[in-house]
Order: sequence, then C-alpha cells, then structure tokens
Amino acid sequence: MLLEARDIGKSFTGVRALDGVDFDVRPGEVHVLLGENGAGKSTLVKVLAGVHQPDTGTVERHGSLAVIHQELTLVPQLSVAENLFLGRPPRRFGIVDKARMRQDAKALLDRVGLDVDPTTPVRNLGIAGQQMVEIARALSLNAQLLVLDEPTAVLTDTETDRLLAIMSELRAQGVGLVFITHHLDEIRRVADRITVLRDGRSVGTLPGTATVEHMIELMVGRTIDEQYPRRRTALGEVLFKVEGLTRRGAFHDVSFHVRAGEVVGVAGLVGAGRTEVVRAAFGVDPYDSGTVEVAGRKVPAHDVQAAVRAGLGLVPEDRKGQGLVLTSTVGDNLGLVTLKSSTKAGLVDRAAQRSSAAEMAKSLRVKTSGLGQQVRELSGGNQQKVVIGKWLLADPRVLVLDEPTRGVDVGAKVEIYELVNRMTAAGRAVVLVSSDLPEVIGMSDRVVVMAHGRVAGELPAGTTQDKVMALAVQEFPA
Amino acid sequence: MTTVASRKNFKVLSDNGALAGLLVLVVALSLLAPSFLTTQNLLNVGVQAAVVAVLAFGSTFVIVSGGIDLSVGSVAALSAMVGAWSSAEAGLPGPVALLLGLATGVVAGLVNGALVSYGKLPAFIATLAMLSVARGLTLVVSQGSPTTTPDVVTSLGSNLTPYLPVPLLVMLVFFGVTGFVLSRTYSGRAMYAIGGNEEAARLSGIDVRRQKLVVYALSGLFAAVAGMLLAGRLSSAGPQAAVGYELDAIAAVVIGGASLSGGVGRATGTLVGALVLAVLRNGLNQLQVSPFWQQVVIGAVIALAVLLDTLRRRTR
Amino acid sequence: MKGMTKMKFRGVAALSAVALAALTACGSGASAGGGGEITVGLAISTLDNPYFVALKDGAEKAAAELGVKLTVVDAQNDATNQVNQVQTFTTQGVKAIIINPVDSKQAAPAAKAAENANIPLIAVDRSVDQGKVVSEVASDNVQGGTLAAIELGRAVSGEVVHLQGIPGASAARDRGQGFEQGLNSGGIKVVASQPADFNRAKGLDVMTNLLQANPGIKGVFADNDEMALGAIKALGDRAGKDVAVVGFDGTPDGLKAVEDGTMAATIAQQPDVLGRKAVEQAVKAARGEAVQEVVDVEVKVVTKKNVAEFKK
Repeated sequence: MLLEARDIGKSFTGVRALDGVDFDVRPGEVHVLLGENGAGKSTLVKVLAGVHQPDTGTVERHGSLAVIHQELTLVPQLSVAENLFLGRPPRRFGIVDKARMRQDAKALLDRVGLDVDPTTPVRNLGIAGQQMVEIARALSLNAQLLVLDEPTAVLTDTETDRLLAIMSELRAQGVGLVFITHHLDEIRRVADRITVLRDGRSVGTLPGTATVEHMIELMVGRTIDEQYPRRRTALGEVLFKVEGLTRRGAFHDVSFHVRAGEVVGVAGLVGAGRTEVVRAAFGVDPYDSGTVEVAGRKVPAHDVQAAVRAGLGLVPEDRKGQGLVLTSTVGDNLGLVTLKSSTKAGLVDRAAQRSSAAEMAKSLRVKTSGLGQQVRELSGGNQQKVVIGKWLLADPRVLVLDEPTRGVDVGAKVEIYELVNRMTAAGRAVVLVSSDLPEVIGMSDRVVVMAHGRVAGELPAGTTQDKVMALAVQEFPA
Repeated sequence: MTTVASRKNFKVLSDNGALAGLLVLVVALSLLAPSFLTTQNLLNVGVQAAVVAVLAFGSTFVIVSGGIDLSVGSVAALSAMVGAWSSAEAGLPGPVALLLGLATGVVAGLVNGALVSYGKLPAFIATLAMLSVARGLTLVVSQGSPTTTPDVVTSLGSNLTPYLPVPLLVMLVFFGVTGFVLSRTYSGRAMYAIGGNEEAARLSGIDVRRQKLVVYALSGLFAAVAGMLLAGRLSSAGPQAAVGYELDAIAAVVIGGASLSGGVGRATGTLVGALVLAVLRNGLNQLQVSPFWQQVVIGAVIALAVLLDTLRRRTR
Repeated sequence: MKGMTKMKFRGVAALSAVALAALTACGSGASAGGGGEITVGLAISTLDNPYFVALKDGAEKAAAELGVKLTVVDAQNDATNQVNQVQTFTTQGVKAIIINPVDSKQAAPAAKAAENANIPLIAVDRSVDQGKVVSEVASDNVQGGTLAAIELGRAVSGEVVHLQGIPGASAARDRGQGFEQGLNSGGIKVVASQPADFNRAKGLDVMTNLLQANPGIKGVFADNDEMALGAIKALGDRAGKDVAVVGFDGTPDGLKAVEDGTMAATIAQQPDVLGRKAVEQAVKAARGEAVQEVVDVEVKVVTKKNVAEFKK
C-alpha cells in the first residue's frame, strides 16, 4: 500500500465533513474518488495531503504525494522549464544552468507526453498543457502518489483522451493515482477501484467495471430516472432572433432564433466562437454588423443594461470570474440583477430583496446555511444555482446558459435541467451553449452547430453525437 | 446567563479585529496614562478622529468598490480654501462660500471618477494626479497664505455645549450616512458588487461606469466636508492643511477590516479604524513618547491591526 | 507597428507642447523683474508655508528694484528634487544661484553642481553643510530659540510645554537647542516636549492632548507660528490670560495673534529681508563684486509693544 487512511473523521465548526472514512491506494492503480460536491472529497484530499489534521483516525503514507488542483499554480510569465524547476533550478557555480534545465525539462515533458519547447512561456500553453506541466513537476519531485482533483473539468474531449492515456502510462510506471471527476464515462475508462463518498461517509467501494447507474445510485442515494429530463412544451412566437451577427476575427454571419417554450442548443468545438456570439448578443462585447432582437424589438449593441431591460439574461461560462461576486453573500448575489428594479428613489427595498431571494434559494434547493452565507463557501453546483437564480428572479424572456453544468455534480445537474424545463413551461426561451454533447442533445429541442465562427448547420432534437461532430469539424473556405 | 452574554461579546470582538484592538489600546492607555480615561479626553479623541474619520468614510466607498483615492487630503485642503477664499476675498456670504467649497470637492471627485471610469485610468494614477493638481490649486487660490474661514465654517469646529463638540457630531452623522448608503442604497449595494467582481456586476446589468462616478463624487464630497471641519477647528484654511491625510484615511479603512482588493468593508469598521489612529496619537502625546519613536509605534500598530484581522479570517 | 510608434510620438509631442505653453503662461508669475541681463535662480524649499512665500516676495521685490531677472523654483520639501532644480539652473545660464536648502545636510550635491558650473551659490535661511557657498544669509535659529525662552520666562513662571517641529529637521533642532539654552535664565520648567510637525492642525491636537495630561501649565513654546496658532486654538480662552504662548517666524497670522494678545510673543525672522539680502548678495556675486560671507539678518522679539513695526 502506498497510502492507507483508516476511520478518518473531521469537523469544521461543528459541521461534520468526514465521518469514519477508509481509503487506500496501491502502487500502480487508479483509485477514483466519487461524490457530489460537498460530499467531502476535497476535505479528504486535504487530510491525505496533510493539509488538515484529522480529528479521528490515522493516515499512513509510504511515498510522497502531490495534488494537482483544478486551479493551477504555475507562474504564467515563466517558461515551462522554469516552472518545472521553480525554486530549485539546476545550478552550476551558483548560476542557473539553463542548458541542463532545458534538458531535464525535456525528459520530464516526454514522460507526460507533452511535446513543447521548454522555453515556451506557460501562458501560451493552454489549460491542458499547463496541467501536463503540473503533473511533470509533481513527477520531478518523485511523487509516487498523484491526486488529480477534477482535472478534466476544463479540458476538451481530445485533451481528456490524452490525459487519460498519460494516467494509464503513469499507472504502468507504478504510480498510485487518486482521480476525482464528475464525468462518469471517464471513470469507466481508467478506474481500477471507485470509492463513493456521500455526506462525509464512504458509502461503498466499487470495482472499475461498475455501471454508471450503480455509481449514480450510490452518489445521490437514490436512482435518477432520466439523466436528461427534457419536457417539451408547445412553441410560441419567436422570442430571440440573432441575424447575420459578425465580428471580424471572431464570428461571421451567425443567425439563429429561439421560440417561446423552446430550448436551442449551441454545440461546437472549443474555439468555434459560441461564447463570443452569445456574449456579443448580450451586449458584453461589441460586434461589427448584424442584429439582435428580443420579441421582435431590436436590442442595441454593446449595452448590457439595454439587453437586460429587453429581457435577456446570460449565465456566463466562467462562474467565478464572471457570474458571482465571491466576496458577497448568497443573498446579495441572488439580488444582483434585480437590484435596479427593487430600487425606488435610490433606495433598495432590502426586505423585498431578502424575501424573494429566500424564496428562490428554497425553490432552487440551494444547499446553504442561509442567505448571509458567503457564496464562496458553497459547492460548485450550488454556486451555479445562485447564478441561475439571480436571473430567474429577474424573469428574463430569454435566458442564455453558457456551460451551465461545468464542474457541477450529477444531482445538481438534473436540478439545473429541471430549471430549464420550468423556464420553457412558463413560455420563456432558453439558449443552451454546452461542450457536453449528451447534454446538448438530450436537453435541446434543436441544436445549432458552430464551427470556425460560423453556423455549420442545424439538427433536430434526438440527433446523434456523430452528426453533431460531423458538422463541428466542418471546414469553411477562408 | 453570563457565559452566554460573554460568549456573545466575544463573538462581536472576534468578528471585528479592529474593535478588539481599539479596546486593548484603550485599556492599556487607561492604565498607563491617568488622564486618558476622562470624559474630556475621550471627547478630545473623538474630535481629533473626526477629520480623518470623515475622509475615511469617503474612502470606504472607494475601497469597497475596488478603487483607491489618494487625492482626499489635497481635495480637503482645496475645498476648505475655496470656501474660505470665497468669503474672505470674494466677499460671498458664508453659507454660499461653504456650498462652493463642498461643490469643489464634488467636482474634483467627478473628475477622478470620469478619469477612472471613462478614461480607463488606474485609480491610483488618476487620483495621484488629482493629489498634485488639487494641492497646487490650493496654493494658487491662497497664494501660499492661510485664509480666515467664514463663521459658518468656524462653527463646524466649535462646541454646541461644553460636552457636545460639533466635529464629533458631524463625524457621527456621516458615520450614519455612510452606513445607510452602503447598506440601503442602490449605489452602495452596487459598490460591493463592483469591488467584489466588476465583470460579474457588469454582466448583471449594473451601470458600472456611472456608479464609479458616484463613488468618487461621494469621496470628493466627504473630503470637502473633512476639509471644512479641519479649517473650522483652526478658524482658517491653510495651504498645507491635511498633507498626507489620504494615507491616514486609507489606514483607517483597512484597519477597519476592508480589503484593498475590494468588495469588503463597513462603516463601523472605518469608524473604529479612525478611532484607533486618534487614540494612538492622543496616548503617545500623553505618555510623552519620544518623537522619533512615535512614527514607529503608529506604523507597527497599523500593521498589527491588519495582521490580526487577516489571521482571524484565515483561521475560519 | 510603425504607425503606432509615430502616433504615440505625436501624442507625446502634443502633450509636451501643451505643458510648455502652460509653463510659459504660469512662468510669468514665477519670475519677477525681467528685462535685465542678469538672471538669478532661487531654489526655495517649499511654498507651502507663508514664511517662505514672504521670503520669495522679498526676493522678487529686490530683484525688480535691482533690475535683474529672478527665476523661482519650488522643491516641495524634497531634497532630491532640489538638487535636480539647481542642476537645471546651471544649464540655463543663470549668473548666480540662491538656495534655500530643504535640508542643510542634503544640499551638498547642489553646491557641487553650482561649483562645477562656476556659478556662485548663496545660501538663504538655512546653511549648506558641505560645499562652496559665497555668502550665507540667515537668521540665527539658535539665538532665536534662546530669545524665546527668555521672553517666555519673562511672561510667566512655572510649567511649560514645547511643541517641536518635524523630528530631525534642522530648524526644529536649532530652535529647540536654543530654547533649552535659554531656560536656565528664568523660572520656567519644561514638562512635555512633543512634535507637531510645524503644522497648525497638529499643533491643535497635540496641545489638546498635552493639556489633558498637564492641565496646570503656564506657557507654551512652539517652534513656529503655525503650531503656536494651533496651540492657541486648543487653549481657547486661556491663551494670553493664564497661559503665555511664544511662537517663531513672525508670519502675518502670528503677528496678528500678538496684536490681539493671544500670543505673548513671536520671534520674527523677517523672511522678506532674508530674501532681499540674498538677492543683493547674488547680484553682487554675479557682477563679480565683493560679497559678504555671512549676512546676519536680525532676529527680533515681537511683542504687543512693537508689533506695529512688523505689520506691513
């Protein structure tokens, strides 16, 4: 055993985060740690890494451990090699030996299969490459145990494939890996064993061959009937119409429309221009030509407030960077969009804000100790519910969701899908931008596929992943 | 019963590192300096805290919204000078002169705000420029000499009754106004959102640019009020008045638990911060600490207060 | 890329032009006289203080009478800034430089720059510790401090407090030293010495605090009039009745307080005379005439009796 943790218990200010958890890792295995957000995975990782002292139980480690977090800890301005040997560069006569540093770096990068020049600044690498550099750095420190905390949440499918391949490679080298992910299909591809946490307890350890249904059942403590519970409603008038939207260098002649009661998915590869289009339509960024209409009325360009007044809403892709005010409370975040409408003569009706926020938090089943709780303390899924909730309070006619379930666990995902159903049942229109193909196919009434900044085609509900991909990789004449 | 009460008190203190620090200072000084804990002296401390406190209330808006205003000391001096000059040299009635002085502060703040929000200048640079411009204009207006203030301004520095100094009253009123603006008004709520995450605020339909204008205008207005208080206490507006006060104001806000990266800060914290500085200066005088050591002690206390607060947050 | 650089350059050029125009426009106020062939540079420590403004006014008046051009620069109490300004003078063809050092000890590089350019240097109000100075025009701060102590001892006896200038500043040092030397002559005893940074508002606060600890004091000596005026504010009705305040400098506000009886005395330095004498020596040096190495400008005790002489 590389690692053996027995009967781990840990509480924070009276809240039990872990309770009697057993967990071990053998050399040369991938042990998946599975659970909803808030189940205690991060706390367990911190206990294993020695960041937290457990209240009860013991941790035995034979070998050094490195944790690769979702938020990377590299210095973007420095080169790959400098990052790899940060704080301990190879020296000769007290001077950094750059030639040797490059050589050593190259060898390490080969081990993780990353083919880049070690002098490249890390910020030029892209998120997947940066992760590889982090892993290489951990290996250079002779880590025999590697904890990967949701590394694939920010990766594209091809990047994920590569990461999984490297994990298998490292496993063959005898490294023990702890892998945390919300993508159940990935688990089936690499896992040797799966330990499921729920509410701070270990509810079972499954073999790597376990079925998705079995995993979900253990995770959420109930069976989820449908992963994509889309309930279709009768369609009404066109509520949202984007016509010929163009911004040089970003997207070209993009047109689509959404009717009342309809969910239109926007699929495409990373970099196809999906996020750029919806941001421009919402007035965040400018565009060169084209029009945006809500319920038949033109929305002025590059004016978020006008877009909000017209009845548009946007749940942005970057939850922490653009969706939430992390220094504020749950209540304040929920009330952000409606701040203006609940203001009279400069004064905010705080009581009304509080009661509507409380109602929304309740109806969205946000797991929180109260409206006064800091929003940064919530789990990812609950944070996302808060972002969606602040828009629901404003009751927009058209809500654009950009990667709404990224980093969100299975249970919360289904709840977010139910919110989409609720919106369309009330005659609103939803645009669902997502890189998760099963999701975009399962939840949309129509799928618009983008490639290279253009609309490559439109597919009806119930289309297949192959058809979407065929359009997504389409080339356009320059 | 007592344990519940004391636990509650403890929570109030542990929630506010600065308040705990203030109490420690007060207790220590009461033991060391026999004349410290007297009604008169405590009133003195309040009066001496008033100018920095009002400046700091204005800076609280700016810092909560993620900015910084380095010009408040200069703007205070300029506003007071414009007020004094309009009455003493231009012969305008006192109340009109007072309003002109306050308007000067607002205009200076609006210029800061416009440079920051529309000119996209970093707040540090825009207000640094204003620090210099406002101080220079003060010299231009005054021709380098102190100018007598009109009676209405002078009354701001006096006592209503022996136990009711006007500066203390003004400080408390502006404390209330600051708390009200921050918690109850659209602008105040927008300040927290903008300071916490400007992009999220913008994407939620908040008019970030206009609110920044409001923020700096408020800071300018508060600076003008502080300038009037200072001039009122001296019955004259000086060209060298309030030099370096912007740093005291920022220190007060930060001691009070606000974060210079924005989104966090409260009126009570700032009040406590300003009181910490005033108590410290008062105590150092009474204990007759060597002038060479006084600045060291003040700096150390500022660092300690903020450090305590940071540690408290980290252990949570 | 190239176009960008050009644009930027154009922007900078335009900005420089604006700045230049502004400087020329404001410059007329800074230089008095004009027309004369001789230009004298006056590097003043700060114009934030009425005292130095009076010094500048005296210098400008003298320059106008003597028909020379005077260029005034303000170092805003920054010693480094002042060195740069003196260096700039040496390249502008001035025939003599008057320096009012921000700090005596830090003025050596400025003196060196003038010496290298063969331009005579005159120090006014404060000395230059190291370097060649053809003439030093100053009033004696130490003597002034002693006079203040004697005057305070004459007015009252008992406990007094001393409000000090910026800790470490030469004027604060010298006046404090002189004050202590003069103490043994009278029946006064210093019970507290605290800094108020030459600033009126700080004088008010510090005095208020000292009163709290020492309610029975009889007198105050402040290193300048600004602090003395702050102390008078703190004393309220007691000023001039049972507490005597002695200031230093003889600024217009200070003289007015002496006239009103709230200030017992101030030590008048006659800054305008300092400025005048400095210009006179500078013109002599520029014309190659003999100069006086040390010009002592009288320090005078101003009381209610003779205050009229000083009010102009």
